Amino acid sequence: MAWASRWTSLCRNLLRRERVNADLDEEVASYFATLVERRQAQGLPVEEARRAVRLEFGSGQQVKETVRDVRMGATFDTTFQDVRYALRSLRKSPAFALTAILSLALAIGANTAIYSIVDAALLRPLPVAEPDRLFALSTLQIQIPGQDRPAQDYSFSYPLYQQFRAAAGDSARLGLFSNGNLTDIQIPNRGAPMEKAVCGFISGDAFDILHVQPVLGRVFTTAEDRVPWGHPYAVISYDYWQRRFQGDRGVLGRHIQYGRHNLTIVGVARKGFFGVEPGKFVDIWIPAMMYSKAALTDSGWGWFRILGRLSTGATRAAVRARLAPVFDAYEQELVRRFPMTPEPMQKQYRERPLLIHAAATGASNFQVDFGRPLWIVLGVGAGILLIACANIASLLLARSSVRSAEMAMRISLGASRARLIRQLLTESLTASAIAGVLGWALAQAAAPVLVAMLSDRANPVRFALSMDTRVLLFCAAVSAAAAAIFGVLPAWQASAAKPLRELHGLRTEARKLRLGRAFVGVQVAFAFLLIVGGASFLFSLRNLLAVDTGFNPHNVVVINVSTQLNDITQKPELNVFLDELQRRVEGRPGIQGAAVGHAGGLFEGSHTSMEVIVPGRPRPDRQEYTMPASPRYFATMQLRLLAGREFEQRDRDYQYSGPPARIVNDAPAEKYFGNEDPAMGPRPVIVNQAFVQKYYGDENPLGKVFVTTNGGRREIIGVVGNAPYGSLREGPQPIVYFVVRGTNFVALYIRTKMDTGSVVRLVERETEAMGHNTRIRGGTTLDTLIGNTLLREKLLAGIGGTFALLGLMLAAIGLFGLLNYSVTRRRKEIGIRAALGARASSLVLLVLRDLAWLIAGGLAAGLGCSLVLMSVVRSLLFGVGAVDPAVLITAAAVFFAATLIAGGLPAGRAAAIDPMVALREE
Amino acid sequence: MAKTVEILQGTLDLLILRTLELRPLHGVAIADRIEQVTKGTFVVGPGSLFPALHRLAEKGWIEGQWGEQETGRRAKCYSMTRSGRMQLAKEQRNWERILTAMNQVLTQEG
Repeated sequence: MAWASRWTSLCRNLLRRERVNADLDEEVASYFATLVERRQAQGLPVEEARRAVRLEFGSGQQVKETVRDVRMGATFDTTFQDVRYALRSLRKSPAFALTAILSLALAIGANTAIYSIVDAALLRPLPVAEPDRLFALSTLQIQIPGQDRPAQDYSFSYPLYQQFRAAAGDSARLGLFSNGNLTDIQIPNRGAPMEKAVCGFISGDAFDILHVQPVLGRVFTTAEDRVPWGHPYAVISYDYWQRRFQGDRGVLGRHIQYGRHNLTIVGVARKGFFGVEPGKFVDIWIPAMMYSKAALTDSGWGWFRILGRLSTGATRAAVRARLAPVFDAYEQELVRRFPMTPEPMQKQYRERPLLIHAAATGASNFQVDFGRPLWIVLGVGAGILLIACANIASLLLARSSVRSAEMAMRISLGASRARLIRQLLTESLTASAIAGVLGWALAQAAAPVLVAMLSDRANPVRFALSMDTRVLLFCAAVSAAAAAIFGVLPAWQASAAKPLRELHGLRTEARKLRLGRAFVGVQVAFAFLLIVGGASFLFSLRNLLAVDTGFNPHNVVVINVSTQLNDITQKPELNVFLDELQRRVEGRPGIQGAAVGHAGGLFEGSHTSMEVIVPGRPRPDRQEYTMPASPRYFATMQLRLLAGREFEQRDRDYQYSGPPARIVNDAPAEKYFGNEDPAMGPRPVIVNQAFVQKYYGDENPLGKVFVTTNGGRREIIGVVGNAPYGSLREGPQPIVYFVVRGTNFVALYIRTKMDTGSVVRLVERETEAMGHNTRIRGGTTLDTLIGNTLLREKLLAGIGGTFALLGLMLAAIGLFGLLNYSVTRRRKEIGIRAALGARASSLVLLVLRDLAWLIAGGLAAGLGCSLVLMSVVRSLLFGVGAVDPAVLITAAAVFFAATLIAGGLPAGRAAAIDPMVALREE
Repeated sequence: MAKTVEILQGTLDLLILRTLELRPLHGVAIADRIEQVTKGTFVVGPGSLFPALHRLAEKGWIEGQWGEQETGRRAKCYSMTRSGRMQLAKEQRNWERILTAMNQVLTQEG
């Protein structure tokens, strides 16, 4: 029963505080009055009686205090009091409050913004039921020396997928998910204007595996997995439904033209589901059966990820045990069918294991590409927070000398040290709570901006950036941690005030200043570390941008042309069509050159390669890059032709005279070479300098013939300069160029000074004039494509650089504050020296020398840490070593510049001190 | 007056409860009674009495009511509640056990 009574008392104490206090006042007053009366009855006059009572029993005030201390809700009361006091004292020193709260808010905001992205991309589980039971399959990527490739390979072929499904049995259900791509579609059919949407292919049971229900209509089922091209349906996302169709409930039954398929919308997925790739919002899901027919039977064509859900009671290890034998057998078979594959690569294929890992957070390229950089940026944010905290701590320390009188009085009035510390910590928490709220608002605004920095037109990055509980908790935790970091030491310091010493005007300056210096030293170290990091990333980006591309990538518009024509299906006619298109575009005014290549080739991530066997040389260890090029390709790209000639019309005709010599297998490279006719001569190719150096050394390669897969022969008719294939990081790779032939997807490379929109329209006009229902799939520039490959570096340089500057600013403020305080404290001394005839320069030196050692120490510490950290992030750098003199010198220069600025003003003050005024301040 | 002895918080609670067992008293009277019964050994000042009274009241063992004294002055009068009586009985039993134990220790031979 006691607790019920306690509870009522607590409520009454908190809510009826006035009443309760008034009650207590009256009770105590009445008590004391009675005591006084008794004394009076003994004969003492009123005043004497009162004094006697007070002497014996203490004052009524003290009694009330003791009651208040033991009351229910006492803690809450004092905390509330402390907070009000804290707010008042913050209001009284607005300069300090503003600096502290603003710098803290910036730091907290930056950290929260980055964390919300990290959370959405890497930490938050997919919005599906039981995400912990999801897993993803992968294997090791085949590594080729010299090429820049990711560590893991997530793509699988359809025949293998079918085998996996059979082998998994009832231990798990496997779903197929292709990476969402921004594609051109038309609603409702071919005649409508082109629009863009992110489309992804999935197996029929994918929605079921993920437990995603429709909010309208239905989702796919296993019924959609039966007939290739037999299920022209689409399920759209809730977001797309709202955005594109305004939530119209009549959307079911409407049509979408995707390539040659006219799909019917059969359902809308539930709200919040965006697919399995964090960083991408899929708009339209299409059954896997609607993908290219060849892909469904080609065991060499990997085009999707496999994600699955464990059945109850199954474990990932058990599933892997079932699938691994299937995978191993499959890889062996693949190697057996392509015996011409270089031996090191064969070994990799045979030996690479099937990997299975948890996929609660989904699986996306974004996670792979940006995972580490994001964590690094978060670390940078933590560094800034520490700097801001050190800043505020040193400011607090400086202020504590002002407040020592107040502290001394409170101690003499009976406050315990614990009580004082509690009050000071409450002040810190109040300030950081305000900063936290401001930082939260800042993060809300900044996070979308940061995401926009990461995305581009061709690969939009979208996140469900909900600033939800986890992010809120993070923000609160960071604020509280900040308060603890910067509040504890000053509170400890301030509460150590000795009343007697205060009375005598003695000040415990020395110790406070030592601590303040220590904090500034910490700031210096961190700031230097940040600057070194920021400079490294900036240098990396600059180095990448400065890589000699071997050709002129500026002013080149890239347009993808889809020739899935109704009436032209034969290759010869396609060739004629492409030649005609190239000729027409070239001839237009404003166009300096046009050439044709394959879509998705240059800098867009995909690549093709072939075997190269030079007679008389040992078998190579890898395949070489290949690239299609039309006549006048090299002139258009301004790639130097070093020897021989460009391709011409006649080079292509080698392929089409005579019947096919033999049946070819379906290796991807062979797709582009078609049938060989031994009656004809070797096919012409152009190679680059790196190729010549690798295979021919100093010999003249022109006219030489080498052999490729299945005995096909290639004759070198020209040599061009080196150019990167897909990545600027790789360095010059050997490349074999062959004549582009009509396929359905080509890219037009157009050198022009016109803007992209006009060029697209121009090409559209030409293709219309030619008829044949050609579609232009949007245009971009080569500069943009190259820029896209640098997104990670841009992120690190951009955000890292900004944060580094922010940290430097904060540290400079801290330095300034301390120097200022030091000058103020030593006014008298400086005044005396000045009066004695010291020159201004020596006065300045006097002030600066104080901190010179401090700064040097901080720099040394910062340097040490940066060496360690740089070696950790080495893989993200380009052209910058872990200990790079250029970076260090730049960082030191920037740092000294900031120090000079920060120290300039106080030093100027020191030099300008009027001895008379200073001495008079005694 | 005789030297006062320091009273532990728990024993003060017991004293107050016992004092109020017979009839309700107001603040000053409680202190007077304790001093009187212990013949001056325990002198309870307001600095100790008030916190104790309020603590006991919050626990629900006594309750206070404003009333008028003979002198015409308003004063808070405290009386024991039912749960207070139960608590008192419990405390008394406890105290007897402590007493017995202390006695045994202090009078033990060799």
